[in-house]
Amino acid sequence: MSAFRGFLTRLMTHPATILAAIAVLFFGAPFLSNGTVQILGFLMLNILLAQSMNLLTGIAGQISLGHAGFYGMGAYASGILMKTVGLPFLVTVPAAAMIGALTGYLVSFPAGRVREFYLAMMTLAFGLIFREVVREWDGLTGGAVGLSGVPSTTLRNLTLFGFTLDALDYFRLVLIVTAIVMWLVHNFIQSRFGRAFYAIHASEVAAGCLGIPRAGTKRMAYTLGAGMAGLAGGLYAHMIGYLGPESFDLARSIEILVTTVVGGLGSMAGQILSAIVFTFLPEKLQVFAQYQFIVYGLILAFTLILLPRGLAGLLLLPPRFIKPASLKHVTPADVAIQPVRSDFDSTLVVEGVTMRFGGLTAVDDVSLELHPGRITALIGPNGSGKSTLVNVISGIYQPTAGTVRFFGQAITGLADHRIAAAGLLRTFQDPRLVPRFTVRENLLLGAHRRYRASALATTLNLPSAAREEAAFLATVDAVTRMAGIVDVADQPLESLPYGYRRLVEVGRALLAQPRAILLDEPAAGLSEAEMTLLARMIRAMKEAGLMVLLIEHHMDFVAELVDDVVVLDSGRVIYHGDIQGMRQSPAVIEAYLGAPDTDAGPGDSGLETAHA
Amino acid sequence: MEDFLTLLLAGISVGAIYGLIAIGLNLTFWTTKTMNFGQGSVMMLCAMLTATLIARGWSQALAILAALGVVVVLMVFTETYTVRPALKIEGSMGWAVSTLGVGIVLQGLAALWFGSQALAFPDVIFSAIDDVVVFGVHVSLQYIAVLVLALALVVAFELLVRGTVWGRAMRAVSMDADLASVIGIPVRMIVLGSYIASGVLAGISGILVAQIGGTVDPAFGFELVIFGFVAAVLGGMGSTTGALAGGIVAGVLQQMVGGYISSAAQHGMAFGLLILILVVRPQGLFGQREIVKV
Repeated sequence: MSAFRGFLTRLMTHPATILAAIAVLFFGAPFLSNGTVQILGFLMLNILLAQSMNLLTGIAGQISLGHAGFYGMGAYASGILMKTVGLPFLVTVPAAAMIGALTGYLVSFPAGRVREFYLAMMTLAFGLIFREVVREWDGLTGGAVGLSGVPSTTLRNLTLFGFTLDALDYFRLVLIVTAIVMWLVHNFIQSRFGRAFYAIHASEVAAGCLGIPRAGTKRMAYTLGAGMAGLAGGLYAHMIGYLGPESFDLARSIEILVTTVVGGLGSMAGQILSAIVFTFLPEKLQVFAQYQFIVYGLILAFTLILLPRGLAGLLLLPPRFIKPASLKHVTPADVAIQPVRSDFDSTLVVEGVTMRFGGLTAVDDVSLELHPGRITALIGPNGSGKSTLVNVISGIYQPTAGTVRFFGQAITGLADHRIAAAGLLRTFQDPRLVPRFTVRENLLLGAHRRYRASALATTLNLPSAAREEAAFLATVDAVTRMAGIVDVADQPLESLPYGYRRLVEVGRALLAQPRAILLDEPAAGLSEAEMTLLARMIRAMKEAGLMVLLIEHHMDFVAELVDDVVVLDSGRVIYHGDIQGMRQSPAVIEAYLGAPDTDAGPGDSGLETAHA
Repeated sequence: MEDFLTLLLAGISVGAIYGLIAIGLNLTFWTTKTMNFGQGSVMMLCAMLTATLIARGWSQALAILAALGVVVVLMVFTETYTVRPALKIEGSMGWAVSTLGVGIVLQGLAALWFGSQALAFPDVIFSAIDDVVVFGVHVSLQYIAVLVLALALVVAFELLVRGTVWGRAMRAVSMDADLASVIGIPVRMIVLGSYIASGVLAGISGILVAQIGGTVDPAFGFELVIFGFVAAVLGGMGSTTGALAGGIVAGVLQQMVGGYISSAAQHGMAFGLLILILVVRPQGLFGQREIVKV
């Protein structure tokens, strides 16, 4: 089965097959009946719509329940601009895409401030209301009667560069446009942008802490998805010459969603298969048409639960997020961590930070400093506020009081992705990686903030963008060597044991080339061998001049590595100094053993056993 | 002036129903941070069943009870087979898609059984022509009855949530489901109960809206849920008072815009209001900012 999947995947994604398919359609179309050519034209539009939905839902994890609304915006925009205003095809169709994109941007505008399902509800609302407004605003849209007489191939009054387009020409045009858009989307998905979209999908918090802005990324997904739907709408308007509100109602939105879900969320090839099924099935099977709505409902209700990866999951290999071509051009690099230049200003200063949740004070007036090339351990019993403090420093929580300064700049209250962009990275107590990414893809995600190639250069796959990708892939190789995970570099993370995930998460933070790194219990659950690898990574960070904050319960591990120790208890700093001093500190012993005046001497037995 | 008062009362009355729908959405939002995207079909089905059963000669009370009974079964099914399994898939909004799917199936089935034409909805308490004179203005008794009923339901609901063990258990689940489970609250039952109660509120809202509108058809409902969502967001997601206030604001605005501007603008208004409130004050009028735990 897996061999078959491999074969089918190579077949469907091989450039030669794709070019051959396009050529067959392009040159074979004259031999087909007019009806068939028209259905093939609709197939192209359905592919465009499915790809747009896949980019938004399959890749970025955002749901559109009103996609027909974006599609309709494009269709009416192009129709009205050409018929009423008299603009040419070359203006109206791009305008349709722009207007679709603008609508998507507006619908997703509150992205940063609300739960994600609000956006799904807003798209549903938009889709329903779009149809109503079209029906009522008959002065502009022709109302319920529809807008007829849009220049089209059927009326033989659609021109491009002075030539009148017939149905065959138009099909070829739509075919080429679809192919080009798919190539662009493919480049986009297999780049830092696609990876960032998918990271937002997997864990927003983790993505934010790698410098990926959540709201901006979601808005970008909606803008691009709606723009593609608008483009499909613009092309649709001139295929038939008539636009009616019922072509853009909820049923159409559902149809697009069903196509995407059945095709397999995340898979571009799956979308093509699914679009073929759902374009020809209703045409060929009249019985199906009667129960169509019910069948679509059943598909939506149960596919994501029973067959979450759709047709693609059955027939194809999982999609990858790095271009195979980039992997071939990687030149070996030795340096996993670039040395950080530092001067006297290079510190992370936490001053009087207090964090209250309602009546509970989790962090109480804590101050500490990190210095380049020094490892500071932050230890304390469970619930002492260690992770909360890391959450405050990394911008996930806004502190109730106090400031955090990084390289002299106050970063208190900045968004997490801005703090990450400044070079302050963190890892999580529970590794937050992208389960469906390979180790390599996960690591490359860390480099997100360092990419300089523009979205345009990346989408066009210009040499500059490809070189940049190859350079980061070389660093990824160096990091996998240091972390001892070379053998599993191309395995999906979800297939690996826990210890690997920790190492990958630390490696991913290194790919961001941090100037300071906060490690939240990186050794928890690691084997002895893995701990040795981790210790090697942490020492390399120190040597490269990073500021390291290490939260850890494992005292042997901490003792070997650290320069300074800060002990928290009930949110307050109870000790600050070196590790020998900590072992003798009465306050620390009391915090751990809870016995103010026992005979147990100032030995280290209590702390040795205190790890959770 | 008479127009204005009529629109105002119609707005308040319809708005109170939006409030009821919003409270239904809030309920499941409390317990699971989800809501039924197919809620509109629940409203439609309940109203359609009621109309059909009454047309077959059932007594009104019995027809309404039977329709609500069907809604309960339906919500148990929705929660058990589409929400719960989807919630287990991490980082996915699959539940939004699967609940919408159930709604679509119901709409399709209703069209198959009852036809896609609108059914006339019988007069349950007052007929559309009964009215009283208030301040010299003729006011439809139906509107007043709907308003009173909706308000009574909101008050009863609030008393239930604040005053009973089940209400407190539900609030505990909304705060922290794991902790609630540890201290012996039957979380599973509470979640299921929230879905059932949410469906019953939707069903009643459906009957009330159908009563005012006079007809019901398979596509009825989806737009009402959008207004319910607008009401919930406007009032602040999770707040009962907010839901009622938000519903009334949305209802009155809708009637005024529809009456004085155009019905196209009336539909656009709901969406504009939704965007505006989310941009200006995402926590709504009565809501509190959420603290997301990490």
